[in-house]
Amino acid sequence: MYRQKIIIRLLLCLLPGLILPGTLLAQTAPEVHAGVDTTNIRIGEQVKLRLTATIPAAQFKDIRLGFPVLPDSLDHFEVVSRSSIDTSGDDQLKVLGQTFVLTSFDSGHWEIPAARFEVLQSNSALADTLFTLPVGIDVGTVAVDTTKAFKPIKSVVSAPWRIWDYWMEITGGMLLVLIIIGIIWFLRTRKKSVPEVPTPTVTPYELATQQLKALKAEKVWESGDIKGYYTRLTDILRTYFEHQFGIAALEQTSEELLQNIKPVTKLNQQRDKLRSILSVADLAKFAKLQPSADEHLSSMQKAEEILEWTRPKSEETSGEGVVTQEA
Amino acid sequence: MENTSSDIRQLNEKIHQASAFVDLLNMELGKVIVGQKYMVERLLIGLLAQGHVLLEGVPGLAKTLSIKSLSSAINGKFSRIQFTPDLLPADVIGTMIYNQQRNEFMVRRGPIFANFILADEINRAPAKVQSALLEAMQERQITIGDSTFKLDEPFLVLATQNPIEQEGTYMLPEAQVDRFMLKVVIGYPTKEEERHIIRQNLNPQATPEIRPVIQPSDIMEARKLVREVYMDEKIEKYIIDIVFATRNPEDYKLQKLKPLIAYGGSPRASINLALAAKAYAFMKRRGYVIPEDVRSICFDVMRHRVGLTYEAEAENVTSENILSEILNAVEVP
Repeated sequence: MYRQKIIIRLLLCLLPGLILPGTLLAQTAPEVHAGVDTTNIRIGEQVKLRLTATIPAAQFKDIRLGFPVLPDSLDHFEVVSRSSIDTSGDDQLKVLGQTFVLTSFDSGHWEIPAARFEVLQSNSALADTLFTLPVGIDVGTVAVDTTKAFKPIKSVVSAPWRIWDYWMEITGGMLLVLIIIGIIWFLRTRKKSVPEVPTPTVTPYELATQQLKALKAEKVWESGDIKGYYTRLTDILRTYFEHQFGIAALEQTSEELLQNIKPVTKLNQQRDKLRSILSVADLAKFAKLQPSADEHLSSMQKAEEILEWTRPKSEETSGEGVVTQEA
Repeated sequence: MENTSSDIRQLNEKIHQASAFVDLLNMELGKVIVGQKYMVERLLIGLLAQGHVLLEGVPGLAKTLSIKSLSSAINGKFSRIQFTPDLLPADVIGTMIYNQQRNEFMVRRGPIFANFILADEINRAPAKVQSALLEAMQERQITIGDSTFKLDEPFLVLATQNPIEQEGTYMLPEAQVDRFMLKVVIGYPTKEEERHIIRQNLNPQATPEIRPVIQPSDIMEARKLVREVYMDEKIEKYIIDIVFATRNPEDYKLQKLKPLIAYGGSPRASINLALAAKAYAFMKRRGYVIPEDVRSICFDVMRHRVGLTYEAEAENVTSENILSEILNAVEVP
């Protein structure tokens, strides 16, 4: 009886020793797995290969796992793309995974070879190697009816029009319209805020008449400045022609001016008078001619007659002919 | 001494009488030269203002005939030098040759010793020959060996340049072109003029001979009078404004011309513009200069004195375009 008790106790003591090592090993060794989303594809179709490694959470920090490095081309398979390694899991287990997209252009039954994982213990120099199981894929061919003619390549099919495809352009356009409206509004309000100062304006005719009157009143020739008198007289007429008829008279010689007034009929009718004034003026200005007092008055009278003759009927309507007082 | 009103009146009358030969000359030249009044007028300006003329025009426009006829009408000595790439300075000015009989070196004068020189296609000769001629033009004297010879007066050089066939030519440098008072660009005659030319040439018996109407001494007298032609300070200012506008166009509201002008007219341009204006006034039988005179000869005096930039050349802007802009912007007195 006593012997039986001792044997039972010994067995009880040995039992954990027999069971625990297997349990502990099951807890520490990572598991690797290779899976595909389909085992049957047609030539050129793609299959997703998922490689996973399951590690107990307690060992996760102590283990360094080396994922297999698949070349771009396997036997009968081409790697189209590969994802980065992702991590998932819970408090018990951690799962590391990587997805490869493969395709094949050879028909038949082919196997994705076993993938090799390297397991390294960080606190020891021990290394282990784990392999997944090979995965078989059936690659089916496509029946081609060679009796039929080749068909042309399909043209580009335009995508259906959707307003949302143009949301950027529409938004930009609306913003632009808003900005323009804003600028117009700003300019209008600013214009309103600045009080308009009415600028005193006179017509070329009025200006020339005023200047001639002033010149006449000054009697410049009496002081002996004959040259100055004729210079002012011709300048008044030239400025008037420039403002009233758009003839660049100030930059033209007497002869050129007489030629260029031809298209202006009204002015051309006074050509002889103008020629007379310009001739006397040229002699006074450039040849020191001293015309008599009568000639001074005659030139002045002719200038006034030219102004009167060419006076515009409705000065208000001609915007071009209006000059500022400063001019 | 400042001219008074009566001085100018007297001068005007004097010039009116003295310049009568201009009409005579024009009439005489008109016997053989059909059209080309413009060129003949410019030749006379050069002659009266003591300047030289650079002529640009295609061959066959009566350049040689004009200057030869002018020479005959003035009873002057005419000489033509055809400029070629192998021409030497000695071929133009003369050289020393050894006289075996006298056992000494003697001076053989070149064709430049004449009153009227036609330097045909001046740009075909190398720079040293051009330089020899231009130096003679400027100094009006020639040194051969140890002897210096004064050139005959009046002395007028009419140099021609062909605007086409630029291959193998030696373009005159700007500094040398500046020595020509006028650069005249001549064109083709009108239809009517061309018909006269054909008729005249097909009937050589009808071609009259040019007879001397004046003497070189008359030209020398006229030159003195040209210098006396009255130029008012307003005209002087106008000339200066035009020349300065070629240098600083921005001062005359011509900013757009600034990038087109490489360099403007030199003081020699102002001098020549004033002199040529006086000569033009003389030819118009006036004793004083008016703005028309300046404008009439402005293009011929200034066109070779306004340097164009690459930008202007790329845009096909000519010096004439620039001068037109300037004349339209500068106020006439």
